[in-house]
Amino acid sequence: MQLTIQRLKNEFLEAWTVVVKDIRVYYLRPGMIMFGFLMPFFMFFSFSVKRELDAGDGLARLLALTIFFTAAAAGPFIIPTERSVRTYDRLLAAPMSLITLLLGKIAVGAFFAIAVSTVALIAGLLIFDVTIAQPGFLALGIFLGAVAFSTLGLIFGSIPTNNPGDVQMPSTLLRWGLMFISGVFVPLGEMTTFARIIAYFSPLTYAQDLMNHSVMGSGMINVWLDVAVLLLTSILLLWPSIQLHKRAQVLGK
Amino acid sequence: MNAIEVNSLTKYYGDHLAVDHISFSVKKGEIFGFLVPNGAGKTTTQRMLTTLLKPTSGQILINGQDIARDAYPAKRVMGLVPEESCVYTELSAWDNLMFTSRLYLVPRSERADRAHYLLKTFGLLEKKDVKVEKFSKGMRRRLSIGMAIIHKPTLLFLDEPTPGLDAQSARDILGLIRNLNAEGTTVFLTTHLIEEANQLCDRVAIINNGMIARIDTPENLKLTFQRVQSVEVSLKPNGHNYGEELGKLSGVISILKMGDKWRLFSEDPSLLLPAIIKFAEKNTLSIVSLNTLAPSLEDVFLEITGSPVGAVQQVTNNNDAQKHGMGEQK
Repeated sequence: MQLTIQRLKNEFLEAWTVVVKDIRVYYLRPGMIMFGFLMPFFMFFSFSVKRELDAGDGLARLLALTIFFTAAAAGPFIIPTERSVRTYDRLLAAPMSLITLLLGKIAVGAFFAIAVSTVALIAGLLIFDVTIAQPGFLALGIFLGAVAFSTLGLIFGSIPTNNPGDVQMPSTLLRWGLMFISGVFVPLGEMTTFARIIAYFSPLTYAQDLMNHSVMGSGMINVWLDVAVLLLTSILLLWPSIQLHKRAQVLGK
Repeated sequence: MNAIEVNSLTKYYGDHLAVDHISFSVKKGEIFGFLVPNGAGKTTTQRMLTTLLKPTSGQILINGQDIARDAYPAKRVMGLVPEESCVYTELSAWDNLMFTSRLYLVPRSERADRAHYLLKTFGLLEKKDVKVEKFSKGMRRRLSIGMAIIHKPTLLFLDEPTPGLDAQSARDILGLIRNLNAEGTTVFLTTHLIEEANQLCDRVAIINNGMIARIDTPENLKLTFQRVQSVEVSLKPNGHNYGEELGKLSGVISILKMGDKWRLFSEDPSLLLPAIIKFAEKNTLSIVSLNTLAPSLEDVFLEITGSPVGAVQQVTNNNDAQKHGMGEQK
């Protein structure tokens, strides 16, 4: 028992070491700034121009977009980059389990999303003078969304390839697809029944709804269902990444 | 207990068989050389031993523990120097070492001392705060080795540690490997540089077509292949090419032009020596030098892997031969 606790402690420290290293090495790389930092703001402003959005509504959308794009940007950029220069081997050979390494990589994307969305939140509060209806749910929503979407990005980072370009395109396509089917730009209440059914398949819909609850105090879905779906997404989406890593271990990539 | 024990290890990539049921063991404290021609399963084997690649079948025990069941204990005692110097070029040399020391849970109180010692040993101390992207290939290689040993591994895997380095850097790294071994580290060296294996290794395994052809000490391997001995003769030049006539001497298996010398391969050099002297007298040639040579590890390697003796040099020398109108292979 004591041995297990010690090992868990060791693995946590090792995962944290990977997180700190990735933050130092990758957060300011052009790929991360472009896909993780600038992209959500471009998206938000391009779809908000000439639409008379309520300040709270606008902030909720900006936060959902920021968390989504920023968190999902890390995995497809960092891991293929490390594979291409073989530094990923150093991590795979290090004394930690695959799950520990993957949790570390999820934390890298999640912290990036939390930091950028905090900037967006502060800007929203200062510029638009928005009052947050439920700060507790806002913190929980940012955290759960960041973890869920970072886990989503990790799937693409786990594809066995040494070329980051092979991963960026499909991951960008998926992110855009999810963005358009979710209730970010067209609220769930204004969607047709068919579009709404499709929207329910996207985790971004629940993140957006949770942001609506948090900022404006109301949403279309039960707030606890939003929380549950994001939590479940974080857990379930880890499985494909584990399987892809095992496949890479067989293929030798 | 052996440091490494490998039983019937096999690896397929699709239909391609890269490693074919190899079995061997590495004793604790020895330098074990894995001599493999390029592209013949060299890195595949090392990646399987270091848990980076999953074998198709077979078993790997590190310090008696099956790494397929739990790789954690093995990973804790391993150090890995891959063929490419995988260092973080965005970080300084110091930060690279600190990162690895934290990753391997080196006690906080020892990290700085060990990093300082390694940087000093590798001649990188003055550049410790310089980003690695500004380092030369040799400096990156030394740093990569430093990162592999900062946690004092008892088992060190080295994949081609010296190719591409200048002579001084290569000599420094070989010296370092010897020192680590003298301090008790078991070393698994994968290389295609035969002379490097000859100088460093207690035992070598020669791999051919994904299978182990021989495992023995370098000297025993040479003894086994006494039949590939040779005589090296240098004749004072007189403008005539004697290669063809030397090749026709009794007992010569093959002949190779090497600079201003001819190397005549024979199963019995003692019979060949008088023939060469007689040949020189008959043609009124002065012998500059005449030596019998025992088989080198390279000769043994070429013999085992199926290539004729001198095959590697033949490519070079045949090109020379075409250019200069000399040199031939019988």
